[in-house]
Amino acid sequence: MGKGQYIAKRLIQLVITFLIILTILFFLFRLALPDPTAALVMDGLSAEEQAMVRERFGLDRPIVEQYFIYLRNFMRGEFGLSFHYKSPVFPILMEKLFNTLALMLPAIFVSYLIGPLLGVLLSWKRGSNIEFTGIIGGLTLRSAPVFWTGMIFIMVFGIWLGILPTSGMRTLPYEASSNLDKILTLDYLRHLILPMFTIAIYYLGLPMLIMRNTMLEIMGEDFIELCQAKGLSERKIMYKHVARNALLPVVTQAAITIGLAVGGQVVVEVVFSWPGLGREMIQAVRTSDFPMAQSAFMMMAGLVLVMNTVADLLYSYLDPRVVLKGGDK
Amino acid sequence: MRSKYLVYLLVPVLVLGLSIGVIAERVPELNIMTTTEGYDPVRYEAAFLIQENLAELGIEVSVEPTEFSTLIQNFYNEQDFEIAIAGWSGRVDRLDPQHFLGTLESGQADLGGNNPGGYVNERYDELFALQAKEFDQDQRREYVLEMQEIAMDEQPVNILFFRDEVVAYNHNNFEGFVPMAGEAIYNEWIPFDVDPLGEDRMLTIGTTQEPDNINPLDSTTVWGWKFMRMYYDKLIRLSPDIEPLPWAAESVDAIDDNTIEVVLREGMLFHDGEPVTVEDIKFTYDYFREQDFAYFRPFYQPLDEVTIVDDNTLHFVLEEPTSFFITVTLSQIPILPKHLWEDIEAADQLNPEDVPTVGSGPLKFDTYDRGEYKRLVKFDDYFKADDINIDGVDFNIYADSEGVYTALATEEIDMTAWRLEPAQIELAEQEDHLTVVSVPDFGYYHMTYNLRVPPMDDVEFRRALAHAVPYETFINVLLDGLGERGTSIIAPVNAFWHNPDVPLYDYDLDLARERLENAGYWWDDDGRLNFPE
Repeated sequence: MGKGQYIAKRLIQLVITFLIILTILFFLFRLALPDPTAALVMDGLSAEEQAMVRERFGLDRPIVEQYFIYLRNFMRGEFGLSFHYKSPVFPILMEKLFNTLALMLPAIFVSYLIGPLLGVLLSWKRGSNIEFTGIIGGLTLRSAPVFWTGMIFIMVFGIWLGILPTSGMRTLPYEASSNLDKILTLDYLRHLILPMFTIAIYYLGLPMLIMRNTMLEIMGEDFIELCQAKGLSERKIMYKHVARNALLPVVTQAAITIGLAVGGQVVVEVVFSWPGLGREMIQAVRTSDFPMAQSAFMMMAGLVLVMNTVADLLYSYLDPRVVLKGGDK
Repeated sequence: MRSKYLVYLLVPVLVLGLSIGVIAERVPELNIMTTTEGYDPVRYEAAFLIQENLAELGIEVSVEPTEFSTLIQNFYNEQDFEIAIAGWSGRVDRLDPQHFLGTLESGQADLGGNNPGGYVNERYDELFALQAKEFDQDQRREYVLEMQEIAMDEQPVNILFFRDEVVAYNHNNFEGFVPMAGEAIYNEWIPFDVDPLGEDRMLTIGTTQEPDNINPLDSTTVWGWKFMRMYYDKLIRLSPDIEPLPWAAESVDAIDDNTIEVVLREGMLFHDGEPVTVEDIKFTYDYFREQDFAYFRPFYQPLDEVTIVDDNTLHFVLEEPTSFFITVTLSQIPILPKHLWEDIEAADQLNPEDVPTVGSGPLKFDTYDRGEYKRLVKFDDYFKADDINIDGVDFNIYADSEGVYTALATEEIDMTAWRLEPAQIELAEQEDHLTVVSVPDFGYYHMTYNLRVPPMDDVEFRRALAHAVPYETFINVLLDGLGERGTSIIAPVNAFWHNPDVPLYDYDLDLARERLENAGYWWDDDGRLNFPE
């Protein structure tokens, strides 16, 4: 199977999976709530007025018809009208997505910068106290609930020390003329610190542990012995030969993490009142805002799928040993 | 021998028949629908407390926690329930008794109406019609008091409790807050009441609730309106004592049964500098009706037409005398500038960025960043601008109530827009810079019976049940003392309309048992309640 063929196959898989997700999303929301009008109408609205509301949002049509309209609209890039805001969903989501990425990307960057380095250190210092502490620390950070870490940060740095802001992206009031304008300030960086580190130390454990494990595996391989025989320094062997090879699974993991990051760390966004996509999703579910919730989930699912595919392709490119399965030789 | 077999056959048949007879008499298991614990723990726990007490009376009850919108759907639109615990929120326009009285009027008992239990009482309906037409407040009050007596006596609904609204503000920065029933300190009098104590003249309010939108012809949430009413003016404003004050109107008089004369105040301006004229007022009311904005429809339904008499005078002609027209309709409809709206054909289809945000109120619209921030600034040309001591209001939007509380503690905000959580109340009381204010609500939690289903159709059964509701426990345990036991459908805090003399049903299980017994109910050997024979 050639590379082109493999890519084509992965892309077709991607489309089919996405269609399935779209379908599940549509019916899941309708199953969870038999009649979304309940979310739309106020108490005390007469039956006739409710009928009007239904008609406006197309809820008076049979569910199968609604499903096909939903698919058609999706193909056209129309994501519908939010029940809650009564305005188009897409611009709102894009705005929130930007805010989420403005938080998540720095966090992922930091964790994938520090994590692998720590991983190398741990495997290098195998059997020492450093390794022991590192593993325990990594597992602890990984299992500590982020809202808890976040609240401790708020308590210590926001309330006790009073040195860092605890909510929002910027000091209010502010007017940002553009998205870039929003993040190209020191004020934004100050607001970024607490939520970013909350997420970063949560994410950090994974690349660190993966790195360590893969390093240990590779250290047992023959070519390392060869390197040692050549008389290369230990540092050089570690960073140049072992670590480079061990980075592969970390890269894959990073790609998937970026995909997942689109949904945001919902909890962190709530704890720090970060105006991102995750917070919007929660509100959408709470207010039974189907179009909004559906589109948000869709966006998230889409990006996870895409990043997964990217990770696969990247992997096959980076590591020639990966066999492209699925065909005769 | 044969007779012996016959006996074998007869005995089981007899036993079966008798037991079926007995079972058929039993009061069936009743279902109480309530919200999920996550949505509202208070309502959820209340249902289980009621369940326990009814079990004591030999009535089996299952509690069914239901997702909120499904509950609303089942309760109002399908009337598919036996007993439901629901709530009415105290919105300002409900301070007029019209709304709450209507919840027991038979005309509103059809699907989707406000009387899902299906209560029908001729005398009550008659009084409802009378009070709605009565412009004389004292006479109207007589009717309203009698209606509460009927409702309390017949118990189609049991009012469980009124929950206090507990909010806090930073007394180092601002003073002069005047709480209002059901609205606490975040009410529309803020611009006039509040005085800054320091340099900072912008009042900052922390909130988790966002407006659904800022289109006055499309917003259907109280959070949209609480924001918009700060920059739109109305003909009438309700004072903190719920007295209708002529506002953008110089005077409002009923000149006959069907005509209300409004004289417009002179010299008012919209925020874009255009004068507010009688044309704008007429346009506003016509436009709301023409756009058929359902949220306000009950308010202007009685309106037949608005006519301009002269440069300053308008006549509101009603189809029939309507007592709430002045207190509700004239106090809730925002005055829109004709020159900005008249060319907009479908107001509810407007893109958010195209909505004109020009009003004539005390504050001017400035900024709204979804999910983050809103700002209103003082309108210097307002006719009462001299009474306004702040430069404006900032609204910081937080993701949850914890965020709001942290902001209050770190002095990022000056006050809260919504009630504090019980745990936060204790913390707030310990803070030196905070004042905690507790305001009774006139909205309430109620247990409504579906009167189409036996035994809820039996007034004696309902009266007995009223003695099985642990009112004090609700207050002491569920609300931490911050509330008041349920009384009549018009809350005590709404003092003018509330009937303080209705006899209350006290929590007394023995009395409940006695009432059931007197009505012919009886208990079988399992201790289960049975219908009268």
